[in-house]
Amino acid sequence: MFEHAQKAIELAEKLGADEAEVYISYNHSISADIRKNTIESAKENVSQGIGIRSIINGAVGFASTNNVGRIEDVVNISVSSAKVRDSDPEWTSLPSNAKYPEVSGTYDKRISKIGLDECIGLTGKMIEGALSVPGVNTTSGSFSTSFNKHLIMNTNGVEIVDEGTGVSGFVDVITTKGDISTAYDFEVSRSLDIDVFGIGASASSLAIRSQDGISIEPKKTDVILHPFAFSDIFENTFEPSIDADNMQKERSSLIGKKGETIATSDLNIIDDGLLEGGIETSISDEEGTPSQRTPIIEKGIFKSFLYDNYTAGKDNTSSTGNGMRHSYVSSPSVGPRNLIVEYPSSDVIADTDEGVFINTVIGAHTANAISGDFSVEARNAFTIKDGQIDKPIKSLMLSGNIFEMLNKITGAGSDVRKVGGTVVPSLRISEMSIVG
Amino acid sequence: MSEVGFYDVRMIDATSTSIVLDNGNIEEISVNYSKGCGARALCGGSWGFTTAEGEFDLKAAIDSASELAAQMNNISPKDEVKLKPVEKPVIKNIPTAKIDPADVPIEEKVQLLKDIEDHAKMDGVSSTSAVYSEASVNVHYISSEGIDCEYSLIRTGFAISAVATENGSYQVGRESRFGVCGFELFEENDALALARSAGETAVELLGAEQAKGGTLPVILDPELAGVFAHEAVGHASEADLVLEGSSILADRLGEQIASPLVNIIDDPTLHEYGYYPFDSEGVMSSKTTIIKDGVLNSYLHSRETAQALGGTPGNSRAQGYSEPVVRMSNTYIDNGDSNFDEMLEEIGNGMYLTGSRGGQVNTGEGIFQFNAEKGYLIENGEVTRLLRDVSLSGKTLEILNNVTLVGNDLKMHSGRCGKGGQLAPVSDGSPHISISKALVGGV
Repeated sequence: MFEHAQKAIELAEKLGADEAEVYISYNHSISADIRKNTIESAKENVSQGIGIRSIINGAVGFASTNNVGRIEDVVNISVSSAKVRDSDPEWTSLPSNAKYPEVSGTYDKRISKIGLDECIGLTGKMIEGALSVPGVNTTSGSFSTSFNKHLIMNTNGVEIVDEGTGVSGFVDVITTKGDISTAYDFEVSRSLDIDVFGIGASASSLAIRSQDGISIEPKKTDVILHPFAFSDIFENTFEPSIDADNMQKERSSLIGKKGETIATSDLNIIDDGLLEGGIETSISDEEGTPSQRTPIIEKGIFKSFLYDNYTAGKDNTSSTGNGMRHSYVSSPSVGPRNLIVEYPSSDVIADTDEGVFINTVIGAHTANAISGDFSVEARNAFTIKDGQIDKPIKSLMLSGNIFEMLNKITGAGSDVRKVGGTVVPSLRISEMSIVG
Repeated sequence: MSEVGFYDVRMIDATSTSIVLDNGNIEEISVNYSKGCGARALCGGSWGFTTAEGEFDLKAAIDSASELAAQMNNISPKDEVKLKPVEKPVIKNIPTAKIDPADVPIEEKVQLLKDIEDHAKMDGVSSTSAVYSEASVNVHYISSEGIDCEYSLIRTGFAISAVATENGSYQVGRESRFGVCGFELFEENDALALARSAGETAVELLGAEQAKGGTLPVILDPELAGVFAHEAVGHASEADLVLEGSSILADRLGEQIASPLVNIIDDPTLHEYGYYPFDSEGVMSSKTTIIKDGVLNSYLHSRETAQALGGTPGNSRAQGYSEPVVRMSNTYIDNGDSNFDEMLEEIGNGMYLTGSRGGQVNTGEGIFQFNAEKGYLIENGEVTRLLRDVSLSGKTLEILNNVTLVGNDLKMHSGRCGKGGQLAPVSDGSPHISISKALVGGV
C-alpha cells in the first residue's frame, strides 16, 4: 500500500485540493490467549490502511480504506467532503517538513523475528508464574507482540516513515479456595524485556492477599494509589483538561490557569514524545510534527496545554507534537504522548502511619472529564497501619476531584510503571474520601 | 498430531460515514470503506485466528488460520474442543431501511445535525457537540460444515452532548439514539427534543447538590436499571466467563438468585441496536431467558460453550474481523406490574437515580460500579432535590435479591459494549425498579 502514497497525493491536488496528506499504517501482530490455565488460541493479524485528508480553502475532508482497490475513491470522497464544508478561517496549514529528532528503544529486532512458538513459550511462563502461588487459577490472559510501520506524506514536504515494535502481557486470576478474590497484572514495552513469570506471580500473590477482606467505616484518610489506580483516574480526568481542543471549546477546568500554581510544588508532569523506550515514543506525532518534551506542570505551576497542528494555529502557537490518531480510520486530534508524573520518591508506605493502599479501580471512565470529579470502586485495597500494609478491604468507594488531588500529593514510591503512555509511581494523597 | 477439523470465515464489506459538529461548526466529515475477513480454524483443542484486509485471498486466510491452529495444538496439546451442532440459519424479518441514508444528500445531514445541536443550546450551555453516523455492512459467513449465509444491515444514529458552565463548575448532558434502521430514525425519534433535554440536564446539574454517600433504598430509572441488567447480570451470564471461572453465576443454574419479580432476557431478534439475524458463528439468533422469576435459567452461549455446558448457541459476536466472543445483544429486565408512584410510596426516604454515565463490573467477584447521570432525593415519598455525581456500587446478587418492585414501563437504550478489546452494538433496558438497599456513593 505504501507505494500508492505519492499517487494519492497527486490525485487529490489534481481534483482541486490546496493541500493533501496521506497517512498509511501497517501492523503485524502475533498473540497467544489464555483461558483457564491453558493456552487456548493463537492469533496472527495483519492490518493496514490509508487515511487521506484534503484541504480546500481551509475546509478539511477525510476518508479512509483498507482496500488498495478503493484508494482513488477515497481520495475523491475526501476532496468532495472538503467542498461541502464552509471555509475555516482558523485553518493554517498542514505541518511542514522539519528536522526530526532521533529516538531510541522503540524497535527491538528480536520482536520482529519472533514466531508463534516463542510467543506460546512466553505465555506458558506467565501461567507458570501465576500457578507458582497455590490456590489460584488464571482465568484469562494474553501475550502479544507487534510490529508497526507508518508513513506520513503531505504536500508541504513531510515524508516520514517510522517503524516500531511492542510487546504486552496481561493476566487475570481468581482464587480457587475460600473467599473469592480476583486480581490482574500487566506490562507493556517496546522491547522483549518484560518479566512474564513475574506478571503471573504478582497477580496471584495480590489475589491471595486480598482474600477475607474487612469492612471499614467511611472516613477521610491518606490514600496511596498504585500506578494502575492512579493512571486510570488520571487518564479520565486530568488528560482531557490539558487538551487544547477541549480548552478552546471551553471544556477544561484549566482555562486561564497557565502560569498559576495548580499542584503541590514538588510535582512535575511532562508530556514526552522522545522518552527512551516509551510506549508513545516516535520521531514525530501522527501528522508529521517533530516529537518534543513539553512541561505541563513544573514545580506545581501549570505551563502548557497539548496542541496538535490545528489547535496550535488557532492559538497562534506551535504544535507540541500531539497530533495523534486512533488509527488510519481517523484524522488527527490532540492526544498525549508519554505523560510522565514526577514526585520525589521515598519509602512511601513506611512513611504512612494510617491510611489505605489501592491497587486498581473500576469505573474511572464514568468520571466528569471536565470538572475532574470521580467516584470509583477500589479493588485489591488494603489498610495501612504503622507504615505497613495491614488488612485487605472487601469493598470500598473512593471519591474525589483530580485538581484537588494534585494539591494534596504528599509522597511517592520508587515503583515507577509504564501504564501504557502514563509513566507514574505510587502516589500518596492526603484527605481522600472513602466509603466502605 | 490432530488434523484441522473445522474452519469458518466471516467476510465483511462495509461503508461508514460520520459527521461531527462542534459549537455549530463541522469538525469532521469522514467516510470509510473497508473490506476484509476473519478466519478461524480448530485443531484438536486449539484455535487459530487470522485476519486479512482489502482484496483478500480466501484460501490463503483459511490456510493461515489452519496452520496457526495446528502449530498451537502441536506445541501445546489439550483436550479436543467440540462444537454444538447447528442448522443453517433461516433469515427472516430482517430490518430494512425505509429511507436509505445513502440517498440523503450530505448537505441535508449536516443541516439536520446543525438543527439538533442548536436545540441543545440555551442559557447556561457553553458548548455543544453532535455526531451523526451511518454504516451499511454486508456479512457473508461460510464454514467447513457447508453453512453459507449472508445479510446486509444499515445502522444509523446520532449523539448530542451539551456542557454547561458556571463559576468554574462544569456539567454535561448527553442523549443519543442508534438503531438498525435508516434515516427514518429521525422521524421515529424527536431528535430536537432530545437535544433540548441534553442541554437542560447540563444546566440543571449546575444547580444540583453533591450527593452524600451511604446505604439507602433506591429507585433506578429504565436506563440505569438497563445498564445494571447488562453490566452486572448479562456479563456474568456469558458462558465463556462461566467456563474460565470468572463468573459469580457459575454452578448456579436452577438456583433462586434474584427476587422472584426479576426476569432478565437477551433477545437478538428484536429490531433494536443489538439485532443480528445470525451470529458470528453462523448460528441463527434466538431469545434467551437468563433469569426467570428470579431463578437462573440460562447462560449466553457460543457453539463451544453450549457444547461444554449444555445450552443453545447464538450469542457469539465479533467486531469487524476480530475473533468471535460470547456477547449480549438486546438485554432487558422484563416488565412487572408496579408503577412509579407505588415505588415512591414504598421507599419513603431514599434516592431516585436516572440516566447513566457508564459502569464497570467484576464478574468473578460479582461486584459492579455505575455512575448515574442524575440523582434525586426521595423524601416522604416525594422526589425532591436534584443531586449530581451519584454512583451506585455493590454486589450483583445482593442487588438482585433486594429488588422489591418492578415497573411496567420497559424502555430500551442503544449503546456499545466493550469486551476483550472489541466493541459491539447492543441495547439494554428495563422498567423502573425499586431496590430496598444499595451502596450509593457521592463525592
